[in-house]
Amino acid sequence: MSNAITEIQQAKCLLIFGYNAADSHPVVARHILKARANGAKIIVCDPRKIESARIADQWLPLNNGSNMALVNAIANVIIEEDLYDKAFVQNNTEGFDAFREIASHYTPESVEQVTGLKAADIRLAARTYAAASEAMILWGMGVTQYGQAVDVVRGLAGLALLTGNFGRPGVGCGPVRGQNNVQGTCDMGMLPHQFPGYQSVADDVIRDKFEKAWGVTLSGTPGYRLTEVGHKADEGICKAFYIFGEDPAQTEADLAAMRATMRKMELVIVQDIFMTQTAEFADVIFPATSWGEHEGVYSSADRGFQRFYKAVNPSGDVKPDWEIFSLLATRMGYPMSYSNTEEIWDELRALAPLYAGVTYEKMADLKSVQWPCPTEDHPGTSYLFEGNKFSTPSGKGIFIGAEWRPPLEQPDSDYPLVLSTVREVGHYSCRSMTGNCSALQTLADEPGYVQMHPDDAKALGIDDQQLVWVSSRRGKVISRANYNDRVNKGVVYMTYQWWIGACNELTIEHVDPISSTPEFKYCAVKVEHIDDQAWAENYVQTEYSSLKARLKSHVANA
Amino acid sequence: MKKSIVVCPYCGTGCKLKLVVENNKVIAAEPAMGRTNEGQLCLKGYYGWDFLNDTNLLTPRLKQPMIRRTRESALEAVSWDEAIQFASDKLMAIKKQYGPDAIMTTGSARGPGNEANYVMQKFARAVIGTNNVDHCARV
Repeated sequence: MSNAITEIQQAKCLLIFGYNAADSHPVVARHILKARANGAKIIVCDPRKIESARIADQWLPLNNGSNMALVNAIANVIIEEDLYDKAFVQNNTEGFDAFREIASHYTPESVEQVTGLKAADIRLAARTYAAASEAMILWGMGVTQYGQAVDVVRGLAGLALLTGNFGRPGVGCGPVRGQNNVQGTCDMGMLPHQFPGYQSVADDVIRDKFEKAWGVTLSGTPGYRLTEVGHKADEGICKAFYIFGEDPAQTEADLAAMRATMRKMELVIVQDIFMTQTAEFADVIFPATSWGEHEGVYSSADRGFQRFYKAVNPSGDVKPDWEIFSLLATRMGYPMSYSNTEEIWDELRALAPLYAGVTYEKMADLKSVQWPCPTEDHPGTSYLFEGNKFSTPSGKGIFIGAEWRPPLEQPDSDYPLVLSTVREVGHYSCRSMTGNCSALQTLADEPGYVQMHPDDAKALGIDDQQLVWVSSRRGKVISRANYNDRVNKGVVYMTYQWWIGACNELTIEHVDPISSTPEFKYCAVKVEHIDDQAWAENYVQTEYSSLKARLKSHVANA
Repeated sequence: MKKSIVVCPYCGTGCKLKLVVENNKVIAAEPAMGRTNEGQLCLKGYYGWDFLNDTNLLTPRLKQPMIRRTRESALEAVSWDEAIQFASDKLMAIKKQYGPDAIMTTGSARGPGNEANYVMQKFARAVIGTNNVDHCARV
């Protein structure tokens, strides 16, 4: 995020795009409520009537998969109605003319059919956003989990550039990160093209610095991405998969393809805290300490480094993750030994100028330091781009426009509905942690729900709460119908943590060409009524019990 | 009774809370005045800790290293020394036969923390010799 989470309260307008804060970040939702109480105008662009839409000044229920068309239309209004900040654009940006040219094809009137919105409503939203003295954009996976995702992110950033909404408190762009430390994994260089601190592996000077610090020669060729592993395994290029603290057999798109990929590997190493469905594929399992059993630093979505402490001693023969890597490195001939996490942290900050001034002391207890923080006397950075200096070679903000393109797999007579995967408040990610918490498990359990508009369900003869089959060209799962008049007709929604009602058996591995993120928000499915509901209820329980028993037996019989 | 400061592991907001511990069991979570949460927590922050008490509701904790000696064998509990040797031998053999870029590694965007991820990417780059490092940001 370019701005701090707390600065949401200072915004005079919030443009919330494909982001359901109440379910995915309830405490961010409270900041949105406070902004509202402080008088901010709120515009929500989302096909579902999410909680934020209920308190919004304007809710734009756009068609699924039409994001780019709507963003371009908003840009069109801001430019053609002369609402943009000319001085800001003139002094601080590049690429305006090309951006304007693309936006000119997207009058609100011309996108009414694609977006399902009235031109007058798009115009009103664009005027509200442009008129605010401080306007902030928040987005989530409703933007990033499409085959056209990066283009939309650039388009939204373009709206902020047009209106001069960078480099001050209460403005900017907020991609609110989902997993607790997904910002941190990016910060730490868990990326195939960057060392820690966003430093390119292809840059000779930077590579030289890391080679000297680590005492080895390093590769300057970027690696491949997680979503490419399947193809690399098919081509015989990828032979081993070391999976650390994640559960791709539950969370990746098109799970049947993911399982086939893991079977092709000559070696699968899984390092985790729970016996997951991914761990079943392992040749080696390294058991690690959990959150609560070790200490360290996480990065919040707004670049805040924050320490967490150890609360309890683990009960098994488990080790902290960094110690496992050190043991393995040493055995493979590269001696590695750290005595604690602070030692690792100090090695990191010596190599990453963005974090150089962030000491353990400065993050002690409840304290938090937002990067960039280049020196120890620097307090950290609440909002980026102060003085309108951007992190580009020229220091200018760059407009990048793109034409809208539709999602890949359109509904047809065989699979007439669209499936979009979403979140629910009580469970997290693959559910190995929250599913082992009694209160959270009591609130929601297998097989989960498929949210449907009541009219769609009735047309299929499906009653509320009945079990149904949901299938796509890739798989078939059982789920429970949830009559939900907050969702739009023609589209069904499922959450991704269920094992029996696993929506990723259905999703498609069509990825954005730049980010390689799959199109989790759009694929064609059909929903079918099940006549024998008693059989179906029994089927869910039998499948669930046998899966749990199988995972338990791996541990019990080992 | 003791209280330990942690950051909630369930989303990117970075809420600070205190785990209340008695006899090495967590018994409650209390909100703390973190920068981003200002004394607030959500459902998961308040009730997302009891898996630490080994509830075994959904799936068991992993408590010892395990290996599968062949693809057909069952998982077998072994010592750390043996598991590390087994993994090391296999990784070295694959690296020797196919080159370092035949090995894919991932980071964890969840509980382990930044230091563990730093060491993981160093392991991939400096020890295996590949930039095949990625994580679940895209899901």
